[in-house]
Amino acid sequence: MKRVGVFICHCGSNIAGAVDCEKVAENAKSFPGVAFSTDYKYMCSEPGQELIKKAIKDHKLDRIVVASCSPRMHEPTFRRCLESGGLNAYLLEMANIREHCSWVHPDDKEKATWKATELVRMAVAKVLKNEPLQRSTIPITKRALVIGGGIAGIQAALDIANAGHIVDIVEKEPSIGGKMAQIDKTFPTLDCSACILTPKMVEAANHPNINLITYSEIENVEGYVGNFDVTIRKKARSVDMTLCTGCGTCMQKCPTKVPSEFEMLMTDRRAIYTPFPQAIPNKPVIDRKNCRYFTTGKCRVCEKICPTKAVDYTQEDELVTQRYGAIVVATGFDLFDHSVYGEYGYGKYKDVITGLHFERLINASGPTMGKIKRPSDGKVPKDVVFIKCVGSRDEAKGKAYCSKTCCMYTAKHATLVREKIKDSNVYVFYMDVRTPGKGYDEFYTRTTDQFGAKYIRGRVSKIYEKGDKLIVRGEDTLLGRPVEVEADMVVLATAMVAQPDAAKLAQMVGFSYDQDNFYTEAHPKLAPVETHTAGVFLAGACQGPKDIPESVAQASAAAAKACGLLSKEEMPTEPIVSCVNEAICAGCGMCVPVCPYKALDLKVIQERAHGKTITRKVATVNSGLCQGCGACTVACRSAALNLKHFTNEQILAEVDALCL
Amino acid sequence: MSDKVKKMQEIAREILEKGEAKVVIGWEKGTHWYLSPPAFIDKPEEVERLVWDDFCHNNLSKYLKDYVNHEGKVAIFVKGCDSRAFNRLLQDKQIERDKVILIGIPCHGLKDQDKAKELGENADIPKAKKCVECRYPNPLVYDYFIGEEKALDEVAAASEARDFSDVEAIETLSPDEKYEFWNKQYERCLRCYACRNVCPACSCRECIFDQTRVGWIGKANNASENQFFALTRAMHVAGLCIECGECERVCPMNIPIMLLNKKLIKDINLLFGPYDAGVDVDGKLPLGHFDKNDPEEFM
Repeated sequence: MKRVGVFICHCGSNIAGAVDCEKVAENAKSFPGVAFSTDYKYMCSEPGQELIKKAIKDHKLDRIVVASCSPRMHEPTFRRCLESGGLNAYLLEMANIREHCSWVHPDDKEKATWKATELVRMAVAKVLKNEPLQRSTIPITKRALVIGGGIAGIQAALDIANAGHIVDIVEKEPSIGGKMAQIDKTFPTLDCSACILTPKMVEAANHPNINLITYSEIENVEGYVGNFDVTIRKKARSVDMTLCTGCGTCMQKCPTKVPSEFEMLMTDRRAIYTPFPQAIPNKPVIDRKNCRYFTTGKCRVCEKICPTKAVDYTQEDELVTQRYGAIVVATGFDLFDHSVYGEYGYGKYKDVITGLHFERLINASGPTMGKIKRPSDGKVPKDVVFIKCVGSRDEAKGKAYCSKTCCMYTAKHATLVREKIKDSNVYVFYMDVRTPGKGYDEFYTRTTDQFGAKYIRGRVSKIYEKGDKLIVRGEDTLLGRPVEVEADMVVLATAMVAQPDAAKLAQMVGFSYDQDNFYTEAHPKLAPVETHTAGVFLAGACQGPKDIPESVAQASAAAAKACGLLSKEEMPTEPIVSCVNEAICAGCGMCVPVCPYKALDLKVIQERAHGKTITRKVATVNSGLCQGCGACTVACRSAALNLKHFTNEQILAEVDALCL
Repeated sequence: MSDKVKKMQEIAREILEKGEAKVVIGWEKGTHWYLSPPAFIDKPEEVERLVWDDFCHNNLSKYLKDYVNHEGKVAIFVKGCDSRAFNRLLQDKQIERDKVILIGIPCHGLKDQDKAKELGENADIPKAKKCVECRYPNPLVYDYFIGEEKALDEVAAASEARDFSDVEAIETLSPDEKYEFWNKQYERCLRCYACRNVCPACSCRECIFDQTRVGWIGKANNASENQFFALTRAMHVAGLCIECGECERVCPMNIPIMLLNKKLIKDINLLFGPYDAGVDVDGKLPLGHFDKNDPEEFM
């Protein structure tokens, strides 16, 4: 005879305020199988847990129902409590009488009490069908993969490497550094971006535990937490990394000029190139799309000039597969394409540029050697207009969200213009100024008060060219009158958006993303760097707009999570997974494509039938990958698949308890 | 004997004589003139039993399941609906393509057996309902073909577009009226499971209706259990039904089973876009894959 103990929690007044907990406990005494029932103010407290443990002993309870908050909160607490009380952790059932009852029915105590009683009745019916489950363990490969070599990826890799684990950074560009390498100064301290980034890049390159895999992309990801099998495509560099000394002679002699992506197409690079002077690795790649040899079959200048014979036109893409225990995704962001804004000239006016263009214009190694010159005619602009929220906070044409960094970088740009061009006028069109953060608001105040940037609250309705000037027309909504500024240059604070291939990567690795293709964290507050896929963590702007301090902080947080995983030899698995009844599985394979975690597959089994040995296919569940979502159990018409702890029989018992 | 039947027998004889297949599954004349049940021929001299007439209703693909563990190949004749059933079973990995020889036969539409019995041999017997609504009279897949391939052009689909008017008529009823309607239908159900046995979409190793699972579905023949049986059966073939109408034909109590199947087909079309089961063998099943864009009205 099963003996169920029922424990009703008041949660202070959270539950007791709307539910008569004593009455629920009293009602529960009459439910089939219930041997003991009581209520207590805080069941999750130590005395509360002691109460459960003592009752298990005194009343010989073998199954427990706790009616309290959501199992998301305290299921682990009570499972541990059962274990230390001598019961299997999965003989616990929780009835959520807080989120599902007291919080939603605060004003009708009688009905809320009735509902709580029914929720407990269902939990009792289910717990009677619960079976003890055992956690198994899976081994962990002590090697981490960081996807993306920007500041977030570098920081995550350094932290994991410093904890003693091997890390591979996969970066699609020829050099690590990411967007931060393009930025000139960093707010709010105005220290040079490269000066603080390059030491980290060098540290990563020289770290004995870090391998840089640049000019490479993720081709495929299989496996599960602790054992991800990742196929990496190492794109053909056409330069032998072991022979090349990085002397750069080839880059001087290459006859083909290509607009430099790093310099926002404002100056040229060669077809054999490193993206920027401090690139790491500082060894060039050949851009085969533009290389004269690869397009016309003639040239081979770089091959002739190379003193170490490192140029190799015959190189091919190489696919390597490596096993990793944890993955940190740090693929960063892209910039919103402002050409959808007709009022700003559809991206056609040369002197209407983005913030990142401005970063390069003001950078000492940029196309203008750090002198602010406008792109059209190279003149030093006197009147500069900044427009914020281009693509951000604009559901009609852009994104609904705030890109978070623009208020600060526009203030930084305004300061830099005023600093470098003494007789300049700076106008900033804004919707709101949002500058929370350490030292941020002070910086903004300095921009207006000390550097004299003129902030105009309002949107720009039109920009048009008049002679060599840009006429910026807008409205000052504080004064309630139209304004018109004759500008030499306009800088747009374009929104941060997800990388164009963000969704593809998420699908490949197997985690979720939001409507804007930013990666979704497991919990916005309590699991901000985890994904719903165990062993995959998020760092930096791939999860949502972030500035450098936030990206670095999140990278270290992700690294801590990865290290926590890698520090163990093996990890326990959640036993709430699907299982297959091979006897009735027809092997139709319907479960395989419905599984979002690639946990299901078909395998061949042998059996005896009518005196012969036959083979047939049946479904098999990889318990390391299975997250217990139950999609396969719904797809299976034979009901050969069943989810442990949520079996068809257990769910039916709950339904029957409520309805019969 | 028509040319078609001659050709049928010729192909069957050739296949058996050459040993290409161990058995040829076709149709033969049954107890009555209006019955043409399946024939299982394994000797060349018996091919003369094979016929093709207005009553070759049985969907032969279903029988392939019985030969899964047999050595050698099986040859079967397929009409449009048999070929869709074949594709379905292939999609469900219940049979292997290279273990089956398909002999395609374009179908002009078969006649209603019940009406034939009632009206007599010389009367003008109407087409079976499923054939009136048929949109795929030609075999979609075959290795041999009866007659010229251009015969495909001669057989046109009886119906260009789907006709859901019978389903819509039920949909307009009030919940109580619907309950009343279906209750009346399934009151008659004998639970003989003929509908399941003949269905090419039913491929479970052990049918839920044969299992002893207390609390799920009882074996008692009463209104409540019969309703549950009807709903479970319909849901189990949802997205798989190829509309061969065999379930309704074999039902000894004349329950309009296809009406339930068609309702599910209509709903699937509405939710996931137009879909014909067993037409595209490589296509994704509407209820058999994970798509982020699937409607989620309940969320």
